[in-house]
Amino acid sequence: MFSGKPTKPTFKCYLPPVQVCICGSLCEIVVNEVNFVRKCISAESSQDDLWGKLICTNFKVSFIPQDAPPKQKLKLSHLLLEEHDIPLTCLEQVVTVNDTKGKKKVLGSNQKLKFNPTELILYCKDLRVIRFCFDEAGPESAKKVCLAIAHYSHPADLQLLFGFDYQGRRYHESKGEWVNGSVPRGGLQTPIFDRPSDWDREIKRTGASEWRVCSINEHYAISQSLPEYIVVPVSLADQDLKQHSSFFTDQRIPLWCWNHSNGSALVRMTAINDPLQQRKIDQRYTVIKSHPQRNEVVRSDLEKFLPGIQDIQSAFVKVRQICVVDPFEESEERWFSSIENSRWLEYVRVFLKHSAEMVYYLDGKNSSVILQEEDDRDLSCVVSSLVQLMLDPHYRSIIGFQSLVQKEWVMAGHRFLDRCNHLKKNEKEESPLFMLFLDCVWQMINQYPSAFEFTETYLTVLSDSMWIPLFSTFLFNSPKQRSHCLMDFAKNKAIPQGEDQVVYFPPVWNWSQQFSAKDQTLFNNPMYVGKGAPCVQNGEVKTFRRTKKTFSSTMRGTPASLRNGLRGGEDSLHRRSSLVSELKPDFSPVKDESPSERFFRDWFSRPANQQGILIPLLLPSHMALWKLFFLRWVPEACIARGGPITAYHKLSQLVDEIEILQGQLRQYKGPSPGSTPLPSPGGPLSDQRRMYFTAISPSDPPTPPDFLNSSFPFTPVGNLCRPGVHGTPISKFLNGARIWLSTETLDNDAL
Amino acid sequence: MEKSGSVDSLGSKRSSSRQPSVDSLSSTSTSRSDRSAQTKPHSAMSSDSVSTSAELSPELRVSGLQAKVLRDSNKEELQLLPNEKVQDLAQDVTYFCPFIGALRGIVTVTNYRLFFKCTDRDPAFALDLPLGVVSRVEKIGGASSRGDVSYGLVCKDVRNLRFAHKQMEDTLRKSIFEVLMKFAFPVSNGLQIFAFEYGQVFPENGWKVCDAVSEYKRQGIPNESWRITKVNDHYELCDTYPSTLAVPVNMPDEELKRVAAFRAKGRIPVLSWIHPESQATVTRCSQPMVGVNGKRSKEDEKYLQAIMDANAQSHKLFIFDARPSVNAAANKMKGGGYESEDAYQNAELVFLDIHNIHVMRESLRKLKDVVYPNIEDSHWLSNLESTHWLEHIKLILAGALRIADKVESGKTSVVVHCSDGWDRTCQLTSLAMLMLDGYYRTIRGFEVLLEKEWLSFGHRFQLRIGHGDKNHTDADRSPVFIQFVDCVWQLTRQFPAAFEFNENFLVTILDHLYSCLFGTFLCNSEQQRLKEEIPKRTVSLWSYINSQLEEFTNPFYVNYSNHVLFPAVSLRHLELWVGYYIRWNPRMRPQEPVHQRYKELLAKRAELQKRVDELQREVTNRSASSSSERAGSPTRSITPVQTFV
Repeated sequence: MFSGKPTKPTFKCYLPPVQVCICGSLCEIVVNEVNFVRKCISAESSQDDLWGKLICTNFKVSFIPQDAPPKQKLKLSHLLLEEHDIPLTCLEQVVTVNDTKGKKKVLGSNQKLKFNPTELILYCKDLRVIRFCFDEAGPESAKKVCLAIAHYSHPADLQLLFGFDYQGRRYHESKGEWVNGSVPRGGLQTPIFDRPSDWDREIKRTGASEWRVCSINEHYAISQSLPEYIVVPVSLADQDLKQHSSFFTDQRIPLWCWNHSNGSALVRMTAINDPLQQRKIDQRYTVIKSHPQRNEVVRSDLEKFLPGIQDIQSAFVKVRQICVVDPFEESEERWFSSIENSRWLEYVRVFLKHSAEMVYYLDGKNSSVILQEEDDRDLSCVVSSLVQLMLDPHYRSIIGFQSLVQKEWVMAGHRFLDRCNHLKKNEKEESPLFMLFLDCVWQMINQYPSAFEFTETYLTVLSDSMWIPLFSTFLFNSPKQRSHCLMDFAKNKAIPQGEDQVVYFPPVWNWSQQFSAKDQTLFNNPMYVGKGAPCVQNGEVKTFRRTKKTFSSTMRGTPASLRNGLRGGEDSLHRRSSLVSELKPDFSPVKDESPSERFFRDWFSRPANQQGILIPLLLPSHMALWKLFFLRWVPEACIARGGPITAYHKLSQLVDEIEILQGQLRQYKGPSPGSTPLPSPGGPLSDQRRMYFTAISPSDPPTPPDFLNSSFPFTPVGNLCRPGVHGTPISKFLNGARIWLSTETLDNDAL
Repeated sequence: MEKSGSVDSLGSKRSSSRQPSVDSLSSTSTSRSDRSAQTKPHSAMSSDSVSTSAELSPELRVSGLQAKVLRDSNKEELQLLPNEKVQDLAQDVTYFCPFIGALRGIVTVTNYRLFFKCTDRDPAFALDLPLGVVSRVEKIGGASSRGDVSYGLVCKDVRNLRFAHKQMEDTLRKSIFEVLMKFAFPVSNGLQIFAFEYGQVFPENGWKVCDAVSEYKRQGIPNESWRITKVNDHYELCDTYPSTLAVPVNMPDEELKRVAAFRAKGRIPVLSWIHPESQATVTRCSQPMVGVNGKRSKEDEKYLQAIMDANAQSHKLFIFDARPSVNAAANKMKGGGYESEDAYQNAELVFLDIHNIHVMRESLRKLKDVVYPNIEDSHWLSNLESTHWLEHIKLILAGALRIADKVESGKTSVVVHCSDGWDRTCQLTSLAMLMLDGYYRTIRGFEVLLEKEWLSFGHRFQLRIGHGDKNHTDADRSPVFIQFVDCVWQLTRQFPAAFEFNENFLVTILDHLYSCLFGTFLCNSEQQRLKEEIPKRTVSLWSYINSQLEEFTNPFYVNYSNHVLFPAVSLRHLELWVGYYIRWNPRMRPQEPVHQRYKELLAKRAELQKRVDELQREVTNRSASSSSERAGSPTRSITPVQTFV
């Protein structure tokens, strides 16, 4: 029996492949399967449960229903995963239960199981909780499948994650298309910041003339966790930098993040080993000769103000417990205080608040800001990206947002591998910082619904993508690790040297890997107000003429080539600061108001400019639970034919009509000088529609959108918030199992 | 303290002294001490004045754009309504704004409002408060060292205001706040409520919105099972019911009288709503007078049987008693009680556990403590939970959902009652009807719903709100109607495209529930309203609203047919109605106006459509004149896109 093997076998040869799965992805191998399995679906009764086959492959847990229910017409469908599939990396915990014996066991890798499971409960990182019953299945094969799932979800090594197999195969099978195509980098428009030009463009875009791209970390010669190219003050020579590097944790020379048009800069920095050097370093890195006000540098010690990574992890665990694990009615009783006790919303608020304060220093006081954290790879990722999101509208576009994640998370060396705990090796390192960031962004979207080009669906899908191990974005701890892993990978897969990593192991930003073009339109926010603003093109600042109707330019979408350089903040920043000085004389301070309070009061007294600075409202009552993310799988919490999506539905149709009309207008006007030739009159528009819900023809009477509900575009599936087969709430039954927390201790408890 | 009755002096003397005197306002210190990134918009200034003038003095907006411009430029000046008269004016009054601090200025009291105009600060600040909103005026403490007297105004709309002025030297002269008390509580002082004097004429006549007969006709009544009776024409059967009632066909008027004797206050079961297809009905009444001895009434039993028989689809009848079962049982001691299932065959009794008016009043009081003036930085959610306000909202919505579900999915008729059938019953039937019938989700339909289920069926607005009555401790006061509007708001949150009206509509209704500007919410019953000649002597709120529908229209509204709403009744989806309860807090800036954005898009579409149409005409003309030139003109591709608003 395989479960009795004393030594840890290698991941691959552990079980003989049964058959190659044709329905799944390339090179996917079925490890084990069991028939006559019941997947629990409905809350009260078992009559809606699905019967089918449970399969474990080297990529996912798959359930194939016997009688496939008719596919829902409108719903996000993943190109690589079926509705009932769970990637192995998405498994948080595998729990086997024997109902009759009253036994349960949390399964880890390579373990024994002394009872035949009657139930398998899978807790997923995307918050799904899925239950399978084996009452009609063969006990031995059920047991084998459970053990296989547990084992394969604990890969021994990063290279054993399915993505490496998958991308290698995909590369070779589609090579012709990639290489011969004229589109560089696989058609990807998001800057990856793995080459100097990406940084250079960012310097120019923000007008950071006192900064330069520096290549001393090429081949990771200085620091193991920094990218190869970083941005440093012009005033510092490479030699100085090398000297300084020894002051910092892991030789991380301070990283430039962003420049305000007033000359102040946002910089992130590790703790400095030698306190005497601190002030000197602060000055050298941020007070620039031409800084107009030469204001004091503000250094913010993030660990002092913000919760630590373990606090954040335990808050997330609690809020997840309340939302998807605890019985629905039970948690209903003290819902608000439970949410409060989890502290998740409190942390979301603290991060937003701290970031807003940094905005005050950068914009209101013209001070440069240094974010300081022990190793500069966790909290500062959240804060620096939030600050930039508030200050710079560029990052509120889809491409801009993706470049922000790339710049402040991936390239800055956020330890995605450890924080996601993909290898399930060390739970102390696990922390949902990126999730926290996405929640903060959602709070901003919730408050400023027309300031962002993307929707909450986009954010949710992005969070889910963390648990699909096919993209290079969330798999590594540092750019160096990524680069080395991918070099090894290229060698193993016989990919010619010099081939761009982005092409052979693409980041998540290439969304067509996961979704059809039509489904990707769910990412587009119909209310987005973009603006024709000054932008950088080929390194030259050009100004678009500001149109009166601000939305006209975005409705068609800015040409992709210009998006990278979109720059909206600067001009509004100037206006804002001049307003402040105009108002000052007559503005008697209120009570014992601090200057930052005054700054925020001023800002809030004027209508928000969607393309200017955005500061979130931060009363505790402004913080809301992100329902789509936390409650989408809970059938009891689903609003049939309701939810925010119904307004999105109507809005999208309206925007689609506008775009059709604009298309017609263009056809009439004919090619204007300098523009690309227009499609022939009457040419189809439909293939390029930007909206998911398209205009309906006048003859269709409005019918209630039956397919819409508050979980759309996701489908609530069975979860544990329900009585078990014998009327006992399963989670009560499981009391004592420290679900979500340590499997370490439980692993060894044979029950 | 200088006083002047003439308006001419208004603003001519500007107080030069900047009197901070803020130390007394400890209430805000919690948030002030929090030095990190606080969002403290100074919109306190504009917001206070803008929101009050925008929401509380609608008359300025009535005549459209022109009035709007006027208001914007003069929002800090007092604009009198027709027949509004200045009663008193006091200079050098301090208003302790809990958000900005102490402000010096001039207070004007009219027979409709209190108007405070700040004189020592720019941009100007004004506070505009209809006196109907004032629940009580209290003199706080004795004369302080500086010789100030201060007054607190407790308001019905979740705020408290504090003012102070110098001690009168002439002790015979009344303080302006004593003058204010006279006009704030006209009923207690033998004066007339301002609604009787306000003579504004609107293009629409709101008193014609609801006509009982035509509303029954819309529902298909009379039909073979239900008839309209005039037995209550002179309010003799039941003085708190409307004159027009719909009852089962086989219950003659004589028997109705005997049923009335068995139901509290004579409030017999009558039809509220009938399902257009299944004929399942929602009927409402008061509790049966069962008493401790378990009295029965043959006629009442026959009546409920008749209600059941009128619906061929089901052989069951559900009786929803809104009360907790303990309360229902306790009512037996007072002669009331509930239907026993022995006496009423085929009927099933369900208790909905909704608490009484006193519990609700207490809950809202606690809520006010939590949200006004400032929200504590910590424990927001547990503080909110401890008020139980949202739990009550949940129970009411859950009850209404059960009713709607029985009627829609179970095709079963239901009878709804509480004790008297004029508080919780109104909430339940009207919410169930909102879920079941899309008509009530339109602006006019909602007005009809309020006129019928609340006003005509005798929800005691005068008693529950206490219009113009100084007796603020009256145990009959209760926020039953506010609670209902809150429930409606919760529904609009869950179904953003299902309602024709927007949040502003609901807030406006609540503001004028108190303002006493319109006659709509005066009196306790239809009979009283008739006696007082309310429709003749006052203006209806619906006249004002229907004259400017655009302000109250939800742009996302789609009129789907047969769209029954089944809300998710869970605290997960219930939120505190921030836009109402916390609107006075300037840090609670209204959320970004999505609706504004939608209007821009609509305008954009209209503009584009126009241009496309023009071009199309041009092309057609050109191709007609030179048809040979361009054979394949693009006309064929130009089909006007549907415009649905």
